[in-house]
This record gives sequence, structure tokens and C-alpha cells, in this order.
Amino acid sequence: MTEEFHLPSYREQSPKVSARFKKLYERRIKMEIKGLSKTFQTSKGTTTALNKIDFSIHHREFVSVLGPSGCGKSTLIRILAGLDFPTGGEVLLEGKPVTGPGSDRGMVFQGYTLFPWLTVKKNVMFGLELSGRSGSAVESEARSWINIVGLSGFEDSYPSQLSGGMKQRVAIARSLANNPSILFMDEPFGALDAQTRAQMQSYLLQIWKNVDVTIMFVTHDLDEAIYLSDRILVLKANPGEVNEVIEVPVPRPRSPEQFITPEFLATRQRLEELIHPKGAIEEKELPVVRMVSAEDEVE
Amino acid sequence: MSIEKPWFAIRKPLSPQRQTLLTLCSFLLPIAVWCVVSYVPFIWHPDMVVTISADRSDVTTVYSVGDRLPRDKESENDFVFEDFVEAVRVQNESVLEAREANDPLVTTSRTNKKVLRHLAPVGIAEGWLTRDQATDDAAIYQLWGDIATGERVPTSVPLSEENKEIVAENWAILSGISETYESKKIPKEALRTLVPQGKPSNPVFVPPPHEVVATGWYDWTHQRDPSKPSMPERYVHSLKIVFGGFLLSCLIGIPLGILGGTYDFFAKLIEPFTDFFRYMPAPAFSTVLVAILSVYDAPKIGLVFLGTFFQMVLVLSNTTKMLDRSLLEAAQTLGAKSRHLMFRVIVPGILPKLYNDLRILLGWSWTWLVIAELIGTKSGLTEFIETQGRFRNFDSVYPSIIVIGLTGYITDQILASLRPVFFSWDPEHSGKKPLWIFRGFFWLVDQDCYDRTTPERKPLISQ
Repeated sequence: MTEEFHLPSYREQSPKVSARFKKLYERRIKMEIKGLSKTFQTSKGTTTALNKIDFSIHHREFVSVLGPSGCGKSTLIRILAGLDFPTGGEVLLEGKPVTGPGSDRGMVFQGYTLFPWLTVKKNVMFGLELSGRSGSAVESEARSWINIVGLSGFEDSYPSQLSGGMKQRVAIARSLANNPSILFMDEPFGALDAQTRAQMQSYLLQIWKNVDVTIMFVTHDLDEAIYLSDRILVLKANPGEVNEVIEVPVPRPRSPEQFITPEFLATRQRLEELIHPKGAIEEKELPVVRMVSAEDEVE
Repeated sequence: MSIEKPWFAIRKPLSPQRQTLLTLCSFLLPIAVWCVVSYVPFIWHPDMVVTISADRSDVTTVYSVGDRLPRDKESENDFVFEDFVEAVRVQNESVLEAREANDPLVTTSRTNKKVLRHLAPVGIAEGWLTRDQATDDAAIYQLWGDIATGERVPTSVPLSEENKEIVAENWAILSGISETYESKKIPKEALRTLVPQGKPSNPVFVPPPHEVVATGWYDWTHQRDPSKPSMPERYVHSLKIVFGGFLLSCLIGIPLGILGGTYDFFAKLIEPFTDFFRYMPAPAFSTVLVAILSVYDAPKIGLVFLGTFFQMVLVLSNTTKMLDRSLLEAAQTLGAKSRHLMFRVIVPGILPKLYNDLRILLGWSWTWLVIAELIGTKSGLTEFIETQGRFRNFDSVYPSIIVIGLTGYITDQILASLRPVFFSWDPEHSGKKPLWIFRGFFWLVDQDCYDRTTPERKPLISQ
């Protein structure tokens, strides 16, 4: 009964999708990564976390960074945000080199990092107030951002009173309120349960659609990367280098139903190959010690 | 249907009701032990406390009322209460023998007045005489008459049969001369002196609770010596020393601690020396402090400061370092500069822990109080404790020590209860119990020591 099931190549793009990419590449380059390297000095010697990474992100693009654990995804995004410094190469944001953290590059961390002593509203107002503004204008702006992430009514709650998903939405609102030209997200949904995560993914797509922002998204979840991104930057570990840049052939607008479309599955299969190459994971057989009687067999 | 939870369950909290009960017990048990030791006569009580004393001729050792003598002879050289009584009886025998031989011993009226005065403690114990009347011969003379005629019968210190006889006999002699006191009419013939009486008691350093309470109340509500500060004045003085030293330490220690926790520069500059200095015991510097700051309050405050400051810098520096680094990074990506990080992230972020640290450090300050008040001119509660302790008035000593302990404990409890009010955002306080003192009121309505068959859930904020 089994039918041989053939997936199309992940490189095949429908005319609509290829037109979209054409339009995307015509947009101005937002961030340019040139020969970026990062090495650490450890007691065992020098470890290369990132080795000569070259990549460009276009305006309004959604890029995911994917790779096996230890490939330096987080290091990369931290360097781009200015929280870490490269040992080689440079990063240009709209033509200007990045030298340190700043409000033009927002960042959402996995660990929420909300200020627990501030209410939701005050958290969102944090960046606005740092820029020297204050008063009712800032407050109403904060309110509208809280509204955009769907948390109206929780303005005066403290972070400890919110669930994980809600906290992360506040963190997104807080970053977006600063009007950053690019938003970095470092495994933002990694700590959430599967259901909340799916919900947050769809929220994020809606927010990205409505807000003029470019997003770079670090994840280790293959489905999440395909579902959200225009392009996926796949890294490999030891040393961290660009493995492949995949143009996601799944058309937009995205919806959870697309998880089983041929383009989606083809992309997924390719990512599997890149991230878990055959033989990379040793499937070790457990020693056979049978403690089950014949009628209780399961296979 | 409900199942009672066990009292002993490993790492499981007891119900609030049981917690309150045990909290009460933790205070009541030591008090109960103290009461048992003090009031159950056959437990311990190795001494006899003198209730009626006597002078022995040709013996210089004088026992007055309240003094203690051992009850049992442990070695040949011990002078026990029974020996004292026996010596007085022998002395009385010789008075009687001389009187029977019609050659009564002659002494001075001054000695006889002293003999009469030994009845005064009985009158004071009964409340018939005030403390000041212990040497009021006229009143004492009156008392002899009243007791001899049976007009007044002492109950607090009941007279032994032999003493009743002595009172009657002496009064017969005295009333034969005069019914009322006249200094010149006190006879010169030797009177029999009252035989010492006593009751079993604990050593002087274990006064019974009621005495401690009574003496404490008296000390704190009356002024014994108008030339010296009253107890409330002493108390305020001690508070000034503790809080003076502590606040001074806060003033310098908090900024330094936060700087040390924020900048590695300050950490490396400050911490190694601080770490070394705190091992030098603060009291060792007392003479130096007196030399620099003279003998009054300044060196005392200085000692509390020395004892608290170095700990404070290290503790606060560590607390500051514990602040989640990612909060700082988040603030940086929101455009925060160093100044903003310090005053908008670090300071508000560490406040709840800082508050707790300061509570603990305030406790440290209290421990330096007594040593601080002993240097230079002694002052405050410590001076009182020292002086009274030297006179072995331990019933005066303990109330003052307890007051110091209670002040520290209650201050800490109040500060701990206020923490959820100040830092309601701190996740540590979700579902925090009400003020310790009020917890007792919830006790009666508490149903939590039973497992409910239908568990109730707190409503969660839903998405």
C-alpha cells in the first residue's frame, strides 16, 4: 500500500515567491556583516566561535539564524547588537559601523529580561524615557504598543503577575517602542510551552506585518524558522561558519496549515540534512534486557 | 471527609495554624523551663536565701536578707545555712544561761537596736513597712509590739516557733520599760537575737521570673538614683549608639558596596583591603578609638561603625554583583548609558536584597552595642547591666538584656513585615503571609491543616 513519496526540491519557487524575493533584494541593505570572526581564549587554547561570516540583511526582511548547538548563533546576534565584540571583520548598520549597544538595535532575550520593579507600562516606557522624553505623549505611545501586542488591561500589572508568553510580548513591545531599525530575537520563545509558542509565532508575524521593522531571529526549532522567515542563515559548528543560506519557498501570508505543504516539508528535509547530517547523531542501541512477557509485547 | 496531615513531614510546610502554635511554643518552652526550675522546690535549689538574718558577735562576716548560703555541705570547709543558724542558737543559749544565772549579759543599746532591726525585713515583705523604713527604729519597735501581741501575723515570712518565742520574750522585756520607742530607754541587757530563717533558692544568677519582672518593672518605672540617668534615658542613649553607628556605616557603606559591585575597578580597589580589615576584631580598636575620639559617645559610635562597615561593603558589593546581567544588557539595547544603568537598573534592581542585607547588618550592629558602651565612659543600658551585675543584682540585669534582645527582634520583625509593602513587585512576596503579630488572629479560622477533597485553585491571569 505504501506509495513512494517524492518531495520537490526546496530550491523550486512558485512565481509569486520568486517575485517576492526579487522585490526583497531590490530593497536597501539594512545590515551588512563582513568577514566577521570571533575567537575565545580558553585554558585549552583558542576556540573559534565564528569564522568569517558574510551576510546582508535587507530592509523589512525576516531572517532566521539556525544551527546545531554550539555553532555561535547567540554570539553572532550579540555581536550584531553590540553586546559582544568581534575579533575580526565588521558590522555595518545602514552603512555605519556598529561599536556598541544602542537603541537603534532592539533585542529580545530568551529570559524575558523585563524590569521586575516596573509595571508593564513603565517597562515599555523605559527606552522612551531614556531618550529624554516624558509626559503624557510617552505614556499614550506606550499604551498603543501594549495594545499592539494585545495586552491592553495589563498596563499596571507587574511582570511577576504575567505568564511567560505575556512577558515576552511585553519585551517585544518594549523593544519596538524604541522604534529600532532592526530587531534581534535570541531564541525568544525557547522557554515557552508548545501551545504558547505557536501562538507567539503567529503574533510575531502579525506584528512584523504591521510594524516597519526588520527582524533577525535566532532559533534551534526548524519549523519555527521556516514558518517565520524569508531567508534562513544556517550555520555549522566548530568553527561557526555559514553552511547555507536558504530562501524559504513557502508563500506568504503564512498560516499553520502550511506546515504540511510540499515546499515546507522539502525545506524541512533540507534543514534536517544540514543540521543533523547522517551519522552525526550516534544512535546507540541499549543493551537488550527483556523484562516483558510475550502477551505484553508492544512491537 | 478529610485526612489529617502529619505533624512530621519531611520538607513539607505545616499549616499556618500549626506554625503559629509552634512559634508560640518556641518562646513558651524556655520560659516554662525557667518557671519549673524556679518554682518547683525539689528541682535544683542548691542554696538557702536568708529571709531573717542575725548578727553574730565577734564574727565579721555579715549576711543580710537576700543573701544566699549553700544548703548542703559538700566539704568540711563549707559554711552552710545550717551552720549559720547553729552559731546564732549557741549565741542565744549563752544569753539565756547568763540570764538564768542571774548575771545577764550586758551589751550596748546600739547592739540591741540592731537586734531589733532584724525584724524589719519581715515588715517590709508584708508591706507594713516601706523599704526606707528598714532603719526606722520607732516603726520597727512598733512592729515588735504588734507581732508579739498577735495584732499582726506575718504570712510572707512566717516566723518559726522559736522566733515567735524570742519575739514574745523580747517584747516582754521591752514593753516592761516602754510601750513606745524611746531611744534612751532601749535596755542594755543582751536580748536574744532572732534565729536566721531562710527558704530554698536557686543561685543568685537564676532569679525566678516574677522577681525579674517585678524588679524590671520597678527599675524601668522608678528612678533609683536621681543623679544617674533613668532607664528610658539609658535606652534612648543605647539606641543612639546602635543606630548612629549603623546609619554612619550605611552612609558610606552603601555607595561603596554598590560601586564595588558595579565597577570591577572599585571592586579590586576596595574589596581586598576590606576583606582583610574585617578579620581584625573591632573591639581591639577600642583604645585607639578612645584616643582619637575622646571618651564619650563618639568612640562608641565609631566601634559600631567599625564592626558593621566592612561587612556591609562586602555584602552589598556581592548583592550588587548578583543582579541579573541580562537586565543590564536589555537596558543597553534600549539605549541606556552608564548613568542610566546605575540609577535606573542597578539601584532599583538590588533594592529588595539590599533591604534584607541591611536588616541582617542591623542585627550585627546590635551585637557591638555592649562592647561599645563599655569603652571610654560607660554609658547606657550597658553601664546599668555592668553595675548591677557587679552587685549581683541579676534580677535587674536580665530585664535590660531582654529589652536589648526584644528591641532587635521586634525591629527586625517589623522591617521584615514591611518588605512586601515596599517591594510588592518582588515575586518572592506572592502569597506572603500577613504581619507576624497579626498572624495569630487568622489562627482560629484556619482550616488548612486538613487536605480538602475538592482542591480550590487560585484564579490565574489568563491569556
